[in-house]
Amino acid sequence: MVFLFLVLEIISFTMIVKNQNYHKSIFLTSSNKVVSEIYVINNSIFEFFRLKGANENLSEENTALKNEIIELKGRLSTILPRQKDSLKFNIPPEMEYKFISAKVINNSTNKIQNYITLNKGFSDGIKVDMGVVCDEGVVGIIKTVSENFSVVIPILNERLKVNCKFIKSNYSGPLQWSGLDYRYANLEDIARHVEFSLGDSLVTSGFTNAFPEGIPVGTIEDFKIKPSDSYYNINVKLAVNFRTLSYVKVINYLNYREQKYLEKVAEQ
Amino acid sequence: MLVFIQNIFLFIILILVQVLALNNIQFLGYINPYIYILFIFTIPVRTPQWLTLVLSFLIGIIIDIFSNTMGMHAFACVLIGFLRPYVIKLFISIDEGNNPTPTFYTFGVGVYVKYVVALVLIHHFTLFFIEAFSFQHIFIVFSKAFFSSIVSILIILGIRSIKTK
Repeated sequence: MVFLFLVLEIISFTMIVKNQNYHKSIFLTSSNKVVSEIYVINNSIFEFFRLKGANENLSEENTALKNEIIELKGRLSTILPRQKDSLKFNIPPEMEYKFISAKVINNSTNKIQNYITLNKGFSDGIKVDMGVVCDEGVVGIIKTVSENFSVVIPILNERLKVNCKFIKSNYSGPLQWSGLDYRYANLEDIARHVEFSLGDSLVTSGFTNAFPEGIPVGTIEDFKIKPSDSYYNINVKLAVNFRTLSYVKVINYLNYREQKYLEKVAEQ
Repeated sequence: MLVFIQNIFLFIILILVQVLALNNIQFLGYINPYIYILFIFTIPVRTPQWLTLVLSFLIGIIIDIFSNTMGMHAFACVLIGFLRPYVIKLFISIDEGNNPTPTFYTFGVGVYVKYVVALVLIHHFTLFFIEAFSFQHIFIVFSKAFFSSIVSILIILGIRSIKTK
């Protein structure tokens, strides 16, 4: 009996330790087919109750976008140059990001390591390491992908650090979750001489391939510094409410492979 | 045979309730009750120990698959499956030839409450400490485990007191 007990405990413990790696097996996670189907059914029932809020958000966003289109059309018509006579294909910097919209079908905010499951997978063009955002701001990074589903490692997971910067001063540092409250996270590596104040906004720095520059992350809620410290202890209020997350956009960075390749060559 | 079928039903229902309802609930922001372990409490006393361990592992790993926490629930469940006979022996002596299912009626109210409290505390503290995987957040983990245990114990005893016999 003691032998069987030890065998089962060692099996479980091995799984836990293996799972500490960034990528885990698709078979035993919620990207698994059966598990995700059950979550889809469950979600379709409870989605009904969130429809009102979702509709309001959509119509607001819709109007904002329409206004933007009209404004941009006006501006474009005045500055558009003649089409260049060239067959060479390249993606201009302002068009190198494409969005794939997806729906959240499973989400947790109460663990120290939380995960989000989405209803799109590699058949929809999602790949590992792509960034995930929603209308309010940054959500996380794609961790595993199966044919029709994918799992996101959100900001609410200690293993993810998102590099972000102050809009005002451009100083940047990694943002990490503190493990307790789903509304707040900590900003690290901001040195003593940096000047900022409560309520300052943080955006993504664009130094990682997952996110373009300037996506909202949060605002400064509170900060502390002891006389002996050289770095601030900053508490950030996150822009995204993870408890009510239902639709997200996955960022497809079209020049990802070229940039990765170039950086690899440069390191050799 | 009837007990066998009842337990299969309990197994499925507890997993669905845990995964679809309770995993989405947070009292006060961080209290997350785990009531699926009621299945392990309900296995008849004289069930062979190897079967108890395998069943504990099975329910643990299924919860793990649903909540993306590989091995953590399985680990905690196998531990309480293993300790269960010793906890029972500690509080009550069962006659030879009897094979009762642990409830208020067969154990008596006091003993059953003690039995549930002991195993829930062991399970929750193991689970929450494995989840954190470090002693860095010892205070957060401790308070999470403690308050979640209280809520789980109340829910489990509540379910047991509704169900007659």
